[in-house]
This record gives sequence, C-alpha cells and structure tokens, in this order.
Amino acid sequence: MVASHTGTQDVLMEIRNVDKAFGGVKAVDDVSMDLRAGIITTLVGPNGAGKTTLFNVITGELAKDSGSIKWLGNPINRIKPYQAARAGILRTFQDLRLFSEMSVEDNILTAVENNSLPLPVGRAQRTARLERVEYALDRTGLSSKRKIRAKDLAYAERKFLSMARVMATEARLWLLDEPASGLDPNSYEKFLEILREEVKQGVTVCIIEHNLDIVIGISDRIAFLDRGKLLADDEPQKVLNDPALRAIYFGERT
Amino acid sequence: MLALQLTITGLQTGALYALTAVGFSLIFGSTRIFHFAHGATFIIAAYLFYYMNVSGYGLIAGIAAATAGAIAFGLLLNRFVYVPIQRDEGSFFTVFVASFGIGIVVQNVVGMIFGRGYVTVSTPLSFSVEIMEGLYVAPIAWISMLCAAVFFGILWGFLKYSQMGKALRALADNPELVRVFGLNPRFIAASAFTIGSILVVPAAIISGATSGLNPAMGHHVMLISLAATIVGGIGSVPGTLLAGLALGLAESLALLYVDSQWTEAVTFAILFLFIIIRPSGLLGRSAAH
Amino acid sequence: MEAYLLNLFILISIYSILGVTLNFIMGYAGIYSLAHAVFFGVGAYAGSFMAMHFNASIFVTLPVAMVAGGLLSLILALPALRVRGEYFVAASLGLQVLAVTIFSEWKGVTGGIGGLIGIPPLDIAGFEIFKPSQFIFVTVVALVIILFIINRLVHSSFGRSLRAIRDSESAAAAFGKNVPLIKTISVVISSALTAVAGVLYASYLSFINVESFMLDTSVLIMAMVIIGGTGTQAGPIVGAALLLILPSLISYLDFLPQTEIGSIQQIIYGLGMALLMIYRPGGIVGRKKHSETGKE
Repeated sequence: MVASHTGTQDVLMEIRNVDKAFGGVKAVDDVSMDLRAGIITTLVGPNGAGKTTLFNVITGELAKDSGSIKWLGNPINRIKPYQAARAGILRTFQDLRLFSEMSVEDNILTAVENNSLPLPVGRAQRTARLERVEYALDRTGLSSKRKIRAKDLAYAERKFLSMARVMATEARLWLLDEPASGLDPNSYEKFLEILREEVKQGVTVCIIEHNLDIVIGISDRIAFLDRGKLLADDEPQKVLNDPALRAIYFGERT
Repeated sequence: MLALQLTITGLQTGALYALTAVGFSLIFGSTRIFHFAHGATFIIAAYLFYYMNVSGYGLIAGIAAATAGAIAFGLLLNRFVYVPIQRDEGSFFTVFVASFGIGIVVQNVVGMIFGRGYVTVSTPLSFSVEIMEGLYVAPIAWISMLCAAVFFGILWGFLKYSQMGKALRALADNPELVRVFGLNPRFIAASAFTIGSILVVPAAIISGATSGLNPAMGHHVMLISLAATIVGGIGSVPGTLLAGLALGLAESLALLYVDSQWTEAVTFAILFLFIIIRPSGLLGRSAAH
Repeated sequence: MEAYLLNLFILISIYSILGVTLNFIMGYAGIYSLAHAVFFGVGAYAGSFMAMHFNASIFVTLPVAMVAGGLLSLILALPALRVRGEYFVAASLGLQVLAVTIFSEWKGVTGGIGGLIGIPPLDIAGFEIFKPSQFIFVTVVALVIILFIINRLVHSSFGRSLRAIRDSESAAAAFGKNVPLIKTISVVISSALTAVAGVLYASYLSFINVESFMLDTSVLIMAMVIIGGTGTQAGPIVGAALLLILPSLISYLDFLPQTEIGSIQQIIYGLGMALLMIYRPGGIVGRKKHSETGKE
C-alpha cells in the first residue's frame, strides 16, 4: 500500500469539471483535479475560496451542479455521505461536529461501527472494533480522557478527537478540514507526526490548511483555490513561489 | 360557478396563508431559527386587533396595536429566548422546544382572557355581495388579495434593493455567507423577526373578520406555514408565496370533492407528496443541509 | 383517597410508557414528533377493536396494536425522515391533525366523536384484570419491560448511532451511518411500544374517544419528556409524574381560578419548557448546562 513519493502515483480520486453555485455565487467553479494515493494534497486559498464546499461535494453532502467524480475508477456522482464513508472516504469538519454528548470512546467507537440494524454483533468483530478504538485513543493521547464527554474536552483535545474518529476507521482517503487550526505549536507538532505516520502506513490525505508552516511541512502537493477556481495544482515549491498566487494568498486584495 | 366561487375563496385564503408563511420562511431561512411561536405572533396580532375593535377604537388604532404587538413579541422572543439559547448551543431542537413552549403559554393566556371559543371581528366588509349571477364575493376577499399584493410588492423591493434585503436573501441561500456581508448577525436576526412578524399582521386581522379566531389556531397557522415553507422550498421566499397560495386554493377547491373537515388533510397530503417526490420544494435548490 | 391515588399511579405509569417511548426517538435520536398521541390512539383503537370484536386476550390485542402502530409510523417515517428534522416536525404535526379527523370520522372502528364504550378489561391468559389494584401491577410491569427493551437498545451500537445522529446528523452520515434507515427503525420501534400504552389505557378506562388522542396530548407527552429530561432513563417518568400531579396541586391553591386549571397547567409547562431550554436544556433529571470550557 505504501506509494512512492515521486513520479506518478495511482489516482484514487478523479475530479472533473465540478461546479457548485449558491445563488449567483460560484463556490466551486469548473474544478478538475486528481487525488493521488499515499500522499498529502493540501488545499489552500483565501476564505470563501470553495475548499470546504469541494469536500462537501466529494462526500455527497452537497449535490454538485455539474461535473463528475470517480473513486477508484468508479463514478460516485450521486453518492450519499454514508456511502462515501463506507467506500473509504472520510472527512473531518472545520467545526468538528463531535458527538458532543457522548464520551470520547463512544465517539470513536461509533465512528468504526457502520451497521445500521439493531442486531447483535459477533464477538470477534466487537473485539476488532475495540482494538481500533484503543489504537486511536493511544495515538492521539486521549486514553486518559476516554470517559469524558466530547463537549467537556479542551479545544486541542477536541481537535484530536476529531482526528481519532477518522484514524480508528479503515478509510483510504481522509479529507481533513483545517484540522490543525488553532492548535498550539506543541499540539500541531504532535498532529503532524500522527499524520505523517498514518500516511506512511498507506492513508491518502487531502487537507485544508491556512498555516503556511504546516502547509510547507506536510504537503506533497498543493492545490490552490480562489473564488471557486482551481488556480494551481502542482508541487509545493512551484505553487508557493508563484508571485501571483502569493499575492492572493497574502491578501493583497479587498 | 361553484368552482369559480371556490377559486376566489381559495385565493383569499391562499393570500393570507402566503403572507403568514412567508413571514415564517423569511425568519427561518435567514436565521435558521425554527420559530414555532410564529403561530403565537398571529394570535397576538389577531386578538389585539379584536380587542381594539370591540373596545371601540378605530381601524387605524387597531392595526397599529396589532402591528406593534406582533413586532414586540417577535423581537422580545428573539432577544430573551433565542439569543440566550443560541449563545450556548442553539441546536435546532432546543430553539424549537422553547419556541413551542412560548406558543403554548400564549395560546392559554389568550384563552383565559378572551375565552377558548371562536370570536369574530364584525365588519360589513365580510358580507358577501352577488357580483355575478350565483357568484358571491365579500369585499374582504379583494382586500385580502390586494393586501397580499401590496405587502409582497414592498417585500420584493426590499429584498431586491436594500442592503439588508440582499443579506437576508443570501443567508437564506447559504447561512455561511453571513461573514461575507460583514453585517452584524444580531441585527440581521432582529430585522428578520421584525419583517416576518409584520407579514403576519394583515393575515391575522383579516382572518378575524373572515374565518374567526380561536386561541388554538396558532397550530393551524404553523401547519400551514411549515407546509408552505417546505412545499415552496426552504429558503425560497417566492416558493413559499406560491405554495401558500396553492395550499389555500387546494383547500378550497377540495370542497368540490370532500367535506370541510378534510381540508387540513388536503394540506397534509400535499405536504407529504412534496416530501416524497420533491423534498427540495417548488423552488428550492437542494434538500441537503 | 386510595382509589384516587391508585388511579393517579396507573395514569402516571401509562403516561410514563408514552414518555419513555417518545424519549427514545426524541432524546436519543433527536426526532421531535408531534404525533405521539396518534400512535397512542392507534394502539387504543386497534386493541379495543380486537377486544370488542374478536378476542380480549393481550396475546391478541397487544400484537395487533403494536403492528398497527408500527406500520402507521412507517408511513410517516419513510418519506419524512429522508430529509431533515424540520420536515419531521411538520409531517408529524400534519399527521396529528389528520389523525384527529380520521379518529372522529371512522365510526366503524373508533365510534366517531362519541368514542367507544364497553371496552372489555385486559385478559391475560384467562384472568380478567378490572380492579385498579390489579391493573396497576400490569401497567408497572409493562413499563418495566419497555424500559428494559429501550435500555438494551440504547446501549448497543444502534443506540450509539442514534445518539451520534442526534448530536450531529451530518457527522453521523459522514461516518457511515445510514441515517434515514436508522431513524425509521427507531420510529417504528417507538410507535409499536407506544401502542402498548394505548391498549392498557383503553382497557383500563373501558371508554375512549378522540379527546384523549389530540394534539394537546402529544404536546403534554413532549412536555413530560422535556421537563423530566430528554435522553435520560428517569426523566420521562419524573416528567409524567410531575405533570399529572400538577393539576391536583393547582386545585389546592385557592387563589387560582379553578375553572382554568387546564390552562394554568399548560401555561406552567409551556413556560417550563422555554425556561429549561434557556437555563437547563437537559431537563430536571438531565445534566446542568455544560461548563464554558467546552466552547469553541
């Protein structure tokens, strides 16, 4: 599963000419890009560039106006969010959307359970699930907080819980919406370490991020969105050194 | 001739439904507050007008009192119930339950003051006049339609041309746009409540003279408002308007086929059909979140 | 006095069943139904129909009532749950209004406005339960069984899914929960169990009419759950007891107009609902408002 970091990686997801408008405003405007296996693709761009909307469109949370998306070669144009999850595409939310009244461990456990019917589950499956929960708790350092309700956690812990829910699953593609925003330097170092480790183990990540240090630190590839349009999708150095993009990025605009 | 008669009655009812429903839809669309006490606003406006009327104050004073009462209720509810709730978590249901509770209080307080039976505002305007052979229309039917036309005309201008109107429309389409407009969300919410509450007033006043009032009718008002909002498409003011009119017409025309106790069933059937076949509503964009 | 208390306790346990079953969808799945009295009514009418025309054994009346309640809820749930919470409130309000019309008009089954009289007492394997002192035993056992069933469900993966949906529907879907299916199942289970309360109620009073199954009843049940505490085990029972004792408390207070007891009761619980939502959304039994540390 470990893909090489150079050359042409397998394309996991193929996004073609995707449009999504709200009223007259095009939030995603004719975006085409590939998400390649085993690397971290970073989505950057000013606020309102359409990054989160793109996530919403990919997972079927929002219906796109036009365009097509393929996942592992199969079209997933009318996929529903729960089907996307079961197909191995998971996301986090900018506003976290933890299961706030539930304990930390229940948050993670329910993330790995995807049976809908109220039927008993076999012992082996149950054990396997609990192991995944332990793994995620351990990796994110939340083991000691397992019984605490999600909404009673400190901010950084809640960010890590949001990550833990994804980590415990066996998803192949993670769509992370500003997972490191607002973290103190210690926490985001830990976050980056977790992320790199998971990618090494074969996970593919697409991440929305504003902090330039983090962008530089983790990106294998950078996609630049502005006002819904994909202005660049290339290797980090090329994107970061483009003067026009820098101008937009550093907000020399009203 | 009966069909024509029922069409006119239906348009009259529909005009009032549309006004009430658009009030709810505007508030819900732009603030995401599930203002179930919108029915209570209707009750308050209607009974204030009724009180002024039976106490012998003039028409203008009655309208003024009803309007002031409706706006005050909307704004106070927003300020002292919704804002504190939303400051903490503001989940859709917490707001709904609080709003619902206030609706119960209003219904019962009004019931204790004015009695639980039907009351009507008596006016010669609600006496039917034979305008063609076999076709009876009361002047108040024309007044209802005219009122709706005038109010919607003003609302349209406001939504299209004023800065606040544009903000309200954009928010109804996508609540996340609030930041883009750089407007104070609190001020936007207060404006939505003011306008939404004003829209109820003509419907409340005219209903007092046509169908009559009772304190429990707030639930009926809410059923119509919810149905029109959903059938029209959540967040779409023109859709809600059309749906309100259509529901009024449908209820009235249904009398050609069924007895009057089934009219609410017609509303329910239409609502259900839409939820099944076209959950995004007549003019809604998407049923997703 | 003893008869009065016995009657009160029987009603409290029947309303507790209504509260517990509504709480299952409201407190754990976040589905707010304004049609709970409809399923209460369907259970009562279906059970009475069977008891009056075929067989009064609970092994006949209960299954029929539960199936009727479950099936009817499916009609409501399948379309309404496909979309969002607001739709269910609207659809359930519509169903409640429609059901009252049907209950009043379908004279062959419901007896119309006049209702049904002479409903046979509960027949449990040949024993006829008609003394209140025996009946209370039956209602309490029924309540305990229903609490047990719901407790088991809530603590399974199904229960976690429900709570996840309640806390964040979009996140639950993003983690593979088939939200409409899960909600539909929970509504069907809740409605079928609600119908049990209907059967008990009808055979206890031996008389029912549409008045018991109107919107006011749905609202009362909702108020019981909310005031007691949504999403808690004891909350709905505490709420049911409180709101059913309330009218008698009001009647002890001489300065209140005795003719308006119903209105005063409703004003108190309406106000209670609003104030609780502002200051203590968890209800009486539920947790206090959470600490401010958990804020973003």
